[in-house]
Amino acid sequence: MNIPSSEQELINRATNLAGLTLGEIAEQAGIAVPKDLTRNKGWIGLLLEHVLGASASSRPEPDFPHLGIELKTLPINEQAKPLETTFVSVAPLTGLVGINWHNCYVRKKLARVLWVPIITDKAAPISERLVGTPFLWSPNAEEEALLAQDWQELTDMIVLGEVENIHGKHGQVMQLRPKAANSKAKTQAFDKKGKPFMTLPRGFYLKINFTQGLLHRYLRIN
Amino acid sequence: MTIAILPARLANQIAAGEVVERPASVIKELIENSLDAGATFINIDVDKGGIKKIKITDNGHGIVKEELALALSRHATSKIKDLNDLEAINSLGFRGEALASISSVARLTLTSKPKSQPTAWQAVAEGRDMTVDIKPAAHPDGTSIEVLDLFFNTPARRKFLRTEKTEFNHIDEVIRRIALAHFEVSFTLTHNGNIVRQYRSANTQAQCTKRVAAVCGPKFIEHALEVDCPHDSMKLSGWLAKPSFARSQNDLSYSYVNGRMMRDKLINHAIRQAYADLLPADTFPAFVLFLELDHREVDVNVHPSKHEVRFHQSRYVHDFIYSVCHKALSSAMAGEGLFDSQSNDMALVQEQSYTTEQLQTNSNTAREGDLSTNYPRADYPRADYIKPLQHVREVSNSPAMPGYSNESQPYNRKTVSKAATTNYQALMTPYSEESKVDTSSANMTHPKSQQSAQELYTVPSNAKPSLLLSIEKPGYALYKAQGGCRVLSLFNLAKEIYSNLVAQSWQSKNEETAVEGLVSQPLLLPVIIHLSDEQLAIALTAQPLMEKAGIIFVEQSKNKIQVRQFPALLREQDVSNALTVILDNFISIVSDKYNNNDDQLVEIDCYQSIGLAMVLPEYDELQADILLKQAKNIFNEQITQQLLLNSVPLDLTSHIKQLL
Repeated sequence: MNIPSSEQELINRATNLAGLTLGEIAEQAGIAVPKDLTRNKGWIGLLLEHVLGASASSRPEPDFPHLGIELKTLPINEQAKPLETTFVSVAPLTGLVGINWHNCYVRKKLARVLWVPIITDKAAPISERLVGTPFLWSPNAEEEALLAQDWQELTDMIVLGEVENIHGKHGQVMQLRPKAANSKAKTQAFDKKGKPFMTLPRGFYLKINFTQGLLHRYLRIN
Repeated sequence: MTIAILPARLANQIAAGEVVERPASVIKELIENSLDAGATFINIDVDKGGIKKIKITDNGHGIVKEELALALSRHATSKIKDLNDLEAINSLGFRGEALASISSVARLTLTSKPKSQPTAWQAVAEGRDMTVDIKPAAHPDGTSIEVLDLFFNTPARRKFLRTEKTEFNHIDEVIRRIALAHFEVSFTLTHNGNIVRQYRSANTQAQCTKRVAAVCGPKFIEHALEVDCPHDSMKLSGWLAKPSFARSQNDLSYSYVNGRMMRDKLINHAIRQAYADLLPADTFPAFVLFLELDHREVDVNVHPSKHEVRFHQSRYVHDFIYSVCHKALSSAMAGEGLFDSQSNDMALVQEQSYTTEQLQTNSNTAREGDLSTNYPRADYPRADYIKPLQHVREVSNSPAMPGYSNESQPYNRKTVSKAATTNYQALMTPYSEESKVDTSSANMTHPKSQQSAQELYTVPSNAKPSLLLSIEKPGYALYKAQGGCRVLSLFNLAKEIYSNLVAQSWQSKNEETAVEGLVSQPLLLPVIIHLSDEQLAIALTAQPLMEKAGIIFVEQSKNKIQVRQFPALLREQDVSNALTVILDNFISIVSDKYNNNDDQLVEIDCYQSIGLAMVLPEYDELQADILLKQAKNIFNEQITQQLLLNSVPLDLTSHIKQLL
């Protein structure tokens, strides 16, 4: 797939997908639609990346590295309410000395995002899910302040050994949750007393009210 | 039960519960007083584990006779004077409670002679109200405090005291902890008349090392690494035992912040983390570490016993301690190959409170310099964590987002959606089912007529009877004018209002893009609309004009168009109905014009057509009222005229005839 050369080209391509079902998009691209997503998490994202010509398959880069744009699908219901929190990045639990908001990974990831709403009826087959109008977003000053505060609070807790005490209620717009591939994969962290121990890997997730706010501000919900 | 002020002694006894736990805590408080008084020699004399007698003698600057009485009363201190002092405490004590508390649970005698005073005086507090009795005494320069029969009047507390030996061990531990922090002061500890400990004042590094060896044991010093690392305004110094000296008990962990002994979680956490995997399970590191930092950077007023503090930049302090210890350990271990030479340069960054304004300035500075290492020591405002909470709102239903329409917005987007979103805030529906929505929208769309909008809002409909007498569905209303009753076509009025409204927002230039037109909004899902041939033809001819109006569509297949963006003004209308109305109106306009040999659609036609699309199919009383308010907003003084134009007089002649 050819890589979009400019932001405008990417937007145009993405806008052309709006209103199509995933089945139609997959058919055009010649990709089989899986029966369910439990074993195929992220398939929707991969499909769109493929169709839009994302180049970076390696993780630490944005999906469109030369444009600095990250692609995020946003499953929503018919009332345009996001169905789940949005994964941002894995949260490092060690080696956080010298990391602050300005050089952290979360900020890089969210610097410029192409949101693609996917209207999802959980009862209907995957191929019938509709792609909504995509929009490009960068955090405004207020949003960035909120994100930075949450990041700061969560990171402070991680560093001070409170990882295990962080739950979904921490953070106004962003939360830290176990990134649950399965419960066996563990990573190193430091406990309350500063001793190393093994725990589930964590990830930063955007809360639903935040993504919903973006959606309602950028799009007309019809 | 009646409410009454507690007697002074009882109040002090309650306070004593927090601070005076056992003889050792008495001694800690008293020695800290001596140190704050600048003593260089402190003698601690204890009988029967301190339960019978504690006597502390120092050579500090003493207390003048006039202040002796005050010294024993609660909330009296020489250490701080006002709130500013509390923000930056540089003495060990400051609460002004210790002496009063102790004297409420023991027989306390305070004897003192400042250098400038020829004689010594002694003070004793007695009785329910703790009145202080002062008499002359014999004493060298300095202060002595004698505490006899601890907890003699609080039997409940006495029960918690352990054996004489245990209590003495606690005292010994307190002296050891304090002795480590104040090398320049000599301490002598006497128990039951025998000198048990004697720490001579140490002024050279060698003497200091000797004292550490005396307190922690010579083995500790043998295995210890010396650290001394200033960074910015902080400094960490002291001794850190190699992992080989791991302790099975947590008995050799002495940490101090600005000379105050600590049992602080954060400090211990950072130190333990520095050892990482080097320590066997269930063992503890041994260390004597002194952290010094600006008094304003740390809050001591957390707990009465002051074992815990709060750092204003907790993660920064944590990372600093961790880095220093980790570096020391890893360089020591490097020879033994235990440590992978993880580069851990002090890439420390100060913690910030992220507020909106801050971020903007910071992101600028951050881009210029190296991000991680020499982060500018900005004059970061603290306690700002609370402030940003005000910004929290349900983003979805906030009517206006401050900072969004802000011109100083750093992000420039060329896309249409940018324009849409920025201005969208300023636009709301021209009417709604509910009346409350109205003022805000009026304010937004007509900033000039703000005042009148305000007035309208402050006059509730029930206070002033509606102008309209009754509503005849679907959209006609009876109202009383000067010449009698008239029937008003709400439809025609609405058309007039809305085309004016559209014209206004069309012409009010978008400040950023400086382009005339309507604010457009992308649709979550593009809408596909079937059109007749005629409709399609007019849509395609009028496409540039419609794009200006914020209606963006692409022709899909035969007689089908996909609408992607729609004017924000038409937010309440169904997309396909509204579009059909607009196109049909275009058609009729063009055919009208055709007769006049001019079939070009112009902007004014657009105002009219879009305005038409905003007209409701039916008006009830509430909606009619809202409409009327909008009319007042738009037409101001000309409203009467507008009403007349859109109405006909009610001819009652035939009705009257019937009644005759």
